[in-house]
Amino acid sequence: MSEVAAPDTIVVIDDDYAMRLSCSKILSKMGLRVEAFENGARGLEGVAEHKPGLVVVDLKMPGISGLEVISRVHEIDPQIIMVVITGYATIDTAVEAMKSGAYDFLPKPFSPDELRMIINRGLDRRRLALESQRGEVERALLKRRFVTFVSHQLRTPLVAIHQYLDVLKHLDQTKDDPARRQEWLDRCLKRTEELQNLITDWLTLARVEGGTLVKERVEIDLKPIVSSILASYEEMAAAEQVSLDVVWPEEALCVWSDRNCMNVLFDNLITNAIKYNRPGGKVTVTGCLSGGEVAIAVADTGVGIPEKYRPFLFDEFFRIKGEGVKRTEGTGLGLHISKRIVSEMGGSIEVESQAGIGSTFRVRLPAWCAPAEDTEIGGWE
Amino acid sequence: MSAKVLVIDDDQDFRVSVRSVLEARGYEVLEAGSGHEGLKQVLEHKPDVILLDIMMETSVEGYGVTHALKYQDEYAAHSHVPIFMVSSIEESPDERFPMSAEVEMIRPDGYLAKPLDIPRFLELLEKAVPAKGTVKTAR
Repeated sequence: MSEVAAPDTIVVIDDDYAMRLSCSKILSKMGLRVEAFENGARGLEGVAEHKPGLVVVDLKMPGISGLEVISRVHEIDPQIIMVVITGYATIDTAVEAMKSGAYDFLPKPFSPDELRMIINRGLDRRRLALESQRGEVERALLKRRFVTFVSHQLRTPLVAIHQYLDVLKHLDQTKDDPARRQEWLDRCLKRTEELQNLITDWLTLARVEGGTLVKERVEIDLKPIVSSILASYEEMAAAEQVSLDVVWPEEALCVWSDRNCMNVLFDNLITNAIKYNRPGGKVTVTGCLSGGEVAIAVADTGVGIPEKYRPFLFDEFFRIKGEGVKRTEGTGLGLHISKRIVSEMGGSIEVESQAGIGSTFRVRLPAWCAPAEDTEIGGWE
Repeated sequence: MSAKVLVIDDDQDFRVSVRSVLEARGYEVLEAGSGHEGLKQVLEHKPDVILLDIMMETSVEGYGVTHALKYQDEYAAHSHVPIFMVSSIEESPDERFPMSAEVEMIRPDGYLAKPLDIPRFLELLEKAVPAKGTVKTAR
């Protein structure tokens, strides 16, 4: 890797033999590789050949001037650090050199310590610049991968729909098989719905990028919210032959949050628990107040989540698919959005799972207690 | 004897519609919902041609399957089986694996965009492996 090795080479360009010699000596002792040249033209060839991380150049030389060397070195590689050597009489020129891209200057005469200090600083600067450049490249690559990934997610249902319709229209083998034709049309509808949900979830996330999902803060009792979500899924659960259960404490389970977000959070957890269940299975929601927190658990009796997938469960677009998992229409964003909501509220979400027994998602949110008025005021006089 | 096409794709609906097209043409169709499952089917059922999805949400994606088939000893007997890669995104292996010398190793025999242009797809497939009357050469 030339990029890593490069900073260890320093090119010195000076027409003064004694200066070249002393610079070379000092820099070599620092463990650096030094190549010295007596004029600008040779120096530039040397830069092209040795690809140094730093160049020390005398400003006043016969032939190509130090200033020109700076700009031509930067044409070769803008990341090369340029340090100029200048006599007292040419401080103005040194300033000009800085303006044209030199990193620093050394007025003559200078001590070995001064040279060492400036070189070390220059090399540090170069390392930082290279690191941040690498970081930018990585970020750009990641971003491109992400765009590719999102477009793939959006196109997948569209491709499935298109292809069913194409085959239905052109090949017409389902003409004598109305049941199959019906099944394909149903699948098209399902996939259209999937695409709609995906776009909705995706927009939810895109809109809040950098912002927050939890918009308003009001006192909300989670008991009626969860109960009404459960009621709305009774039909779906019956179709999947899954029963819905809830175990509430006497007291209200109040949090300080956004009503819409609480609906999204528990809707996600409950629909997942219904979808990733088994016929004859159960979804149990339990809630309690403990240690200043509202703890709500949503448990299913599905196949469980293999341990290897658990670390990725809350990642964007993560879905367990393929090997032995039944077909479902999730967007891969639900749990990610849920996790964000919980985090924004200063709570936590965790999953426990056992193969063949089921999974339990545990949400803990800071409990909201209405300030008790009489103690607040300080009681009677 | 009908030629066997193995369709490896994690989208079941895609497999269903492709199956019906291929069966109408007289091909025998095998399906796999993941790269891993696909490799198993290769050993078990010895397909004559493979239709392979690139981006699958499973542990072995399309390029992993190609690499295994072409370079792992286990699959040496099947390294000649033509592979057609399908994807809904335009991303060549060079873009997926920038500056990697191994890119050459995973180049498939052909690329097809999703959704499939069915007449063109069948034409390509027919050229690689005719649906009927394939003479199985000794392997």
